[in-house]
Amino acid sequence: MTGSSPIRLSLPLTSEAARALKVGDVVLLDGDAVATVGMPTQKRMVAEVEAGRELPLSLRDGAFFHMGVSYEDDGGRPGAVHYVNPTTSSRFNHLMPTLIRGLGLTATGGKGGLSQDSVDAMREVGCVYFSFVGGASALLSEGVEAVTDCAWRDLIMQFRLNRLRLSGFGPVIVAIDANGNSIYERLMTSARERLPEIIRSLDPTEHDNETH
Amino acid sequence: MAITYELVKEVTANLYDWSLRRIPESSKAEFRKALATETEPQARQTLAFMLDSAERAETTGKFLCSDAGVPSYSIKIGSGARMEGDIRQAIVDGFAELTRTIQPPLLRFVTNPLTNERSFHGKDMPLVSWDLVGEGDYLDITCAPKALGGGRWAAVEILVSPSLGEIERCILEIVLRAGGQHCPPVVIGVGIGGTFDHAAKLSKDATLRPFGERNPEPMVAEMEERLTRAVNQMGFGPMGVGGATTTFGVHVEYASGHGFTPVAVSFNCWINRRTRARIYNSGVVERIE
Repeated sequence: MTGSSPIRLSLPLTSEAARALKVGDVVLLDGDAVATVGMPTQKRMVAEVEAGRELPLSLRDGAFFHMGVSYEDDGGRPGAVHYVNPTTSSRFNHLMPTLIRGLGLTATGGKGGLSQDSVDAMREVGCVYFSFVGGASALLSEGVEAVTDCAWRDLIMQFRLNRLRLSGFGPVIVAIDANGNSIYERLMTSARERLPEIIRSLDPTEHDNETH
Repeated sequence: MAITYELVKEVTANLYDWSLRRIPESSKAEFRKALATETEPQARQTLAFMLDSAERAETTGKFLCSDAGVPSYSIKIGSGARMEGDIRQAIVDGFAELTRTIQPPLLRFVTNPLTNERSFHGKDMPLVSWDLVGEGDYLDITCAPKALGGGRWAAVEILVSPSLGEIERCILEIVLRAGGQHCPPVVIGVGIGGTFDHAAKLSKDATLRPFGERNPEPMVAEMEERLTRAVNQMGFGPMGVGGATTTFGVHVEYASGHGFTPVAVSFNCWINRRTRARIYNSGVVERIE
């Protein structure tokens, strides 16, 4: 492995610990997190939060990840974990600000990042976003010790709220910090600014494609 | 002798299973090249983690990704191929059997777009395209499962009598919109011309081309190199967290058309799941990828 050596952190983070992290920090995670990839799940979570009800798995001040989980399931307690992998967080942009504020999340994560509304919510609450490497299920799964609980069994497995116990999960990267800095926003702004110059530098032999 | 229902059922199911557990050789070669040239420490770290994880999946038989994607097959039919039985049904039945027996189990990804209900089967599943080619006595079958990460950013724009520069700008604007959301380093397939559907098909076919192969027409090959450099100058990098490796290659295909010019761009994520085999009339199965 090249690059900086990872910081080891245990979840859930305190908001102070979250605020101490900065964009670009490389982290290995231990401890408890709740994961799902379900859109219906997060709509239901928002409805519960807005109604002032507690979720069936406590997530208060916790870590909530956009990650699919597969495990042995005989209808009782979750069995051995098969594999995990992140999903695209940005499709939940419209739901995450409510969840970050309503649950006081101190860590969230997945891949692809979250929009400015979430960045603002994260700054208010003291929450970071971790980028996980998509498609690297074989190695990432080795950092999951167990699925310790699940809720909302009426949903398919990866849509449930699945509680994980992590041990050396990652490395993951702090891609949005609790001080309003987002790698995604920075890179998109920079790419947009550079695009006109990139297009000029293409300089293909211009063909006039008018009809002859 | 003929290409039978049983053989197609077995081969198509195997191609899907294999595609979930290893990345193509040409992708591995691109990773090694990028590790030699990428200068951003974080990008290097991400590339190394990806390659390590792919190698772990291959040696242990684990899945590359938790999202197996919907099964998608591109089948080229040699004009001399002789088929026996319901070949389309063979693919459906092979996939159904695989979802019951594969280890570890798959999660449910086949989604009814009208109800969002998920299962292991559904209308038009597996997705299959059929092309008649040349005189061969075979079916040439490529399996490339597709999931949301790589699938959702594809787009088609229809331009009117564009210059080459305008076409390239259009491609880069579609690429910019996707940012680093599609699990880069991606393969980018571009289809230009024909009609809406034809350009989309060309774009998909272009994503299936192994890295290192260029379009045989020099003008198009130059365009591919130019666009690859341009995309990597955007700076999204591996997993969209920065770096000079956003794509391993832009592949361009084109067809003649009319004054309106569809420009289709599609992506496949870094794991670039793709397997390929030929089934000959003799019953011989040749694994190509």
